[in-house]
Amino acid sequence: MESLNKKMPLVETHLVLLHPERRVGADMARWRQSGGGEALARAAQDPAAVREEIRLAELRGLGGSGFPAWRKWDAVAAELPKPDKYLVVNGNEDEPGTFKDRLLLEETPHQVIEGAVVAALAIGANRVVFYINPDLARSLAAMKAALEQWQTSELPALASTALGRPLQLEFLPGSGHYIGGEETASMEWIEGRFPFPRGKPPYPAQAGVHGCPTLINNVETLAHVPHIAVHGAAWFRALGKAPGTGTKLYSLSGDVLHPGVFELPMGTPLRELIFVHGGGLLSGKPLKAVFTGGPSSTLLTPADLDVALDFDSLRARGSNLGTGAMIVISEGTGIVKRVAEYERFFAHSSCGQCNSCKVGTATMSRLLDRIDTGRGTAADLASLENLCTMLPNSGRCHLINGAVQLLDSAFHHFHDEFRQALR
Amino acid sequence: MSNGIPLAEALARYRPDADLGPLPELTDTDTLLNAYHPDHLRGSVVKLAVGANAGDSCQRDLAGLLQSEAFIDEADLAGTPVTDIDVLVIGGGGAGCAAALMAAEKGARVLLATKLRLGDSNTVMAEGGIQAAIEPDDSIQRHIQDTLRGGHHAGDPALVSAMAGDGPDVLRWLIRQGMQFEQTPSGDLHTRRAGGMSAARLVHCRDYTGLEMMRVLREAVIQHRSIEVWEQSPAVELLSNELGQKCVGAVLTSLLDGQLRIVRTRSVILATGGLGRLHLNGFPTSNHLGATGDGLVLAYRIGARLRELDSFQYHPTGLLHPSHLSGKLVTEGVRAAGALLVNGLGRRFIDELLPRDMVCAAILRECSEGRGIRIDDQRVGVWLDTPRLERANPGLLEQQFPNLMTRTRVSGIDPRLEPLLVHPTLHYQNGGAVIDTNGATTVPGLYAVGEVAGGIHGRNRIMGNALLEIISFGRRAGIAATANRDRGPKKVTLEHVNRLRRALTLAGMPMTQRAPQVLPAYAAGGVWNR
Repeated sequence: MESLNKKMPLVETHLVLLHPERRVGADMARWRQSGGGEALARAAQDPAAVREEIRLAELRGLGGSGFPAWRKWDAVAAELPKPDKYLVVNGNEDEPGTFKDRLLLEETPHQVIEGAVVAALAIGANRVVFYINPDLARSLAAMKAALEQWQTSELPALASTALGRPLQLEFLPGSGHYIGGEETASMEWIEGRFPFPRGKPPYPAQAGVHGCPTLINNVETLAHVPHIAVHGAAWFRALGKAPGTGTKLYSLSGDVLHPGVFELPMGTPLRELIFVHGGGLLSGKPLKAVFTGGPSSTLLTPADLDVALDFDSLRARGSNLGTGAMIVISEGTGIVKRVAEYERFFAHSSCGQCNSCKVGTATMSRLLDRIDTGRGTAADLASLENLCTMLPNSGRCHLINGAVQLLDSAFHHFHDEFRQALR
Repeated sequence: MSNGIPLAEALARYRPDADLGPLPELTDTDTLLNAYHPDHLRGSVVKLAVGANAGDSCQRDLAGLLQSEAFIDEADLAGTPVTDIDVLVIGGGGAGCAAALMAAEKGARVLLATKLRLGDSNTVMAEGGIQAAIEPDDSIQRHIQDTLRGGHHAGDPALVSAMAGDGPDVLRWLIRQGMQFEQTPSGDLHTRRAGGMSAARLVHCRDYTGLEMMRVLREAVIQHRSIEVWEQSPAVELLSNELGQKCVGAVLTSLLDGQLRIVRTRSVILATGGLGRLHLNGFPTSNHLGATGDGLVLAYRIGARLRELDSFQYHPTGLLHPSHLSGKLVTEGVRAAGALLVNGLGRRFIDELLPRDMVCAAILRECSEGRGIRIDDQRVGVWLDTPRLERANPGLLEQQFPNLMTRTRVSGIDPRLEPLLVHPTLHYQNGGAVIDTNGATTVPGLYAVGEVAGGIHGRNRIMGNALLEIISFGRRAGIAATANRDRGPKKVTLEHVNRLRRALTLAGMPMTQRAPQVLPAYAAGGVWNR
C-alpha cells in the first residue's frame, strides 16, 4: 500500500514531446524561448537533409499503422506539384482508449505546427491542412489560437521563401465521424464531401486532395519531426529501446491506479507501463487482459506482460501496437461484453459504402449482443467464427479488418468465455 | 435530553386562554443558531477528502456515503439488457414529472424511472403551498430578496431570480394541467403569508397542496404517450463515456427481481429528492421512505460539484406524539394562520414566523434548557397551541387543515382541544448539486432538479419555495435536456467509478461502505443488496 500512496511514480524518463517546457499551450513567446523555431530555421537551409534524418531515425507512423514515415515522405517528395502539394495533419483522434493527440494539440500546438511546416518543406508541400476532430473543443481552440499567432509572426514568410512559393496553413475541423480518420476519407472531407474512404490505388502520394500529391501524417508523428531535425537521427534512435526508436506516447486507461498519457521509450515493456507508470491495477485485482487500442485492436494477456511495446515486437506476437492505447481489464470484467461494445462501435462507425463491412460489422455486433445477453446459440458462435475468415480484406479501408482482428484475437485468448455465455 | 417538564404536569398547567407573557426579544440570531441548530453540532461536520468537493465541509454521515464504493462493477454489467432513449428522468416526484412532461412536449422519448411508485415522493408531503409573487403589493424582486435573505445570502442570485421570475407562469401551467387552488370569494387565488415572507405569497390547496400537484402531474405523465414509466426501478449507478467526463446513461435495478438494466441516453435528469431517511444526527424525518440521498451519491461519483453539504433544514414542528407519527409534519401553514409555540412553562419563546432554522434552534434551546415537555427519556418537545387558534378562529382548523385533522383524529387526538406536542424533524436538504439556470450540473449530460439540486435556498429554505423550485427547474431542465443534441455515447462505461476508486486508494481511505443506500436499513426487505 505504501507505494500506492505516492502521488506520481518516481521513474526518470526522457521527455521530448511532453517536456514541461514545451507544454505551454498557444503561447508563441514561451515556445520560442524553449527553442521553438530552430528546426524550421534549419529546414529552411536544407530541406532534403531533414528527409534523410527522418529516414535514419526510423520514425514510424504513430497513428496506428507503424509504416515507416520516410517512405511516404519520399514518395510525395518525388512527385511534381499538380499544381499544389498537400500535407494533411491528421488529428481526427477517435480511437477507443486513445487520448494522446488531443494532449499534443492542446498543450503543444506550436510543436505540432512546426513539425508540420518542417515536413512540408522537406517534401515540398505548399498547403498544410490541420484536420482535427471537432469534438475536441480544447484542442481546436489551442490550435486556432496558435495558427493565428503563426500568421502574425515571421515564420510563414521564412518557410515560404525556402519553399519558393507561398505556404498556406489551413485549419479544418473534421466531420466527427470515426471513419474520417482514415487517410483517404479525410481527403474526401477536405474536398467538401462525406468522408467515404477511397479505393487504392491511386495512393495519396500520387493523387490525394484534389488529385494533388498528398502526405498525411498523424499529429504525434509530426510532433517528433522538429526534434529529429534539430538533434539528429542518432539522438532519436538512442531514446528508444531497440528495435524501437525514439519515444512513444502511450495512452493508458482502464482498471489501473494512474491512467493517463505517458511518454516512454518506444519498446517499453507492458509490465513497466502498467505496474510502474500506471501504479498497478486498481483495488489490487489480477490482470485479465489488455486491449491495444487503434484501428485494429487486439488483446494481450498476462503472458504478454514482458513484451516490448513497439510495432515489430507486438506484430511478432500477432498483436498490434496501434495508437499506443492500452486499455487494462482486470479479472471480473466480461470479455464478451467488451468485445460486443467494440463491435457495436465498429458497426456504428462503418461508412456503409462496402457491403461486406456494412453488413459484416452489423451482423457481428448483433450476434455478439445476443451471446452477451445470454440468448446466443452454438450456431451464432459458429457464424461469428466463419465471419472471421470471410470478412478480412473485403473492404476499401481497414475498418472491417480491425473489427475482425479484435474478434479473432478475443476468440484466440478467451474462447471458453464465449462458449460459456451460450444459451 | 432527559430534563424537561413531565407531560402530565405540563398538561395540567396548560390553558388555551392563559396569558403567554411577553415575547422575549431575540437579540443574537447567530449565537442561537450556532449553539442549537443541528448543523452546528460538534463533530457532525467533516471535510471531504476526495472528489469534486475535496476540502469542503460536509455532514459526517453524508460524507461517508459520498466517499464510498459502488454497488456494481463491470462484471455485473455482463449480459445486461440495454435500453436506448432520448432523456432519462430518475425520480417520480414533482420535479421528475415536470421535467419528463416538458421533455416529451419538446419531442423527446422519455423514460421516467422511479424508486418506488410514481408519486411516492416528498412532493406529496408539501402541505403549505407554493410561492409566487402574484399579489398587487408584492413583486418578483421582493420574492427574490425574501428567498436570498431566508437563505442567509448563500443562495445563487441567478438561480433565485430565474425561479422567482417563473412563479406566476408556473401557477398558470399548473392550473392548465388541472391543479386546484384555494380561491377568494371573488375568484382570485387565495394567498397566505408565511415565515420569512414580506408579502402574502403562498398559494395553496387546503393543507395538501403537494398532493394535489402530484395528482395532476401523475395523471399527465401516465397519459403522455412519449413517456414510459418504470416503477420500483431505482438507479444504482450512472454511466459515463470512455473518459468518465460525460454522463451517458444509468444502471437501474428492479426492486422486484433485482435485475440490472442499462439505459443509454443523451441526457440524464436527476430528480431523486432528499435524504431525510438517512436520519442525520439521529433526528426523525418528515421524508418519504425512498429519500436516501442516492442522487447526491451518484452525482458526486460522476464528478459533479455539490454545495452546502453541511446545511439541512429541520422543520420546527414535526409531531412528537403519538410515536407512530413521529417526524410527521405539522405544516407551517398552521403557524402562518396564527398558531403559537409555547414551552412547558406556558410561555412563548420565539416569533413563530421567523425563518425555519431560527424557530427550530429556539425549540431545541427550550428542550435542552429544561423548559420542554417531557414524554419519556428520549422525547422532549414544545406545544403548538392549536386550541388557542381554534378559540380565536372557530372552525378554521377543520376547514383549512383537513389533512392534519384527519391524521390526528385517527390517533385519538383533537387539536382543537389539546395542543400538539412538536419537535424539529429532518425535513430538507438545502444544498445539493451545483446547477445553472437550465438545471445543468457541472457534468455534461447530467441535469439535477428539485431537492437534489442546490444553490437556490442557500443555507435555509423558506416555505413554499420547494414546490415552486421543482416545477420551475423541472421544466427548464426538461427543455434543456431535450435540446442537448450531443451525438450520444459511443461507449458506456463505469470509468467514473474507477476514478473515485483511484482517488480513495490514493487517499488511503477504506472502501468498505457501499452506496447508494436505495432504502433505509429498517425498510421491508432491508438495505437493497444483490
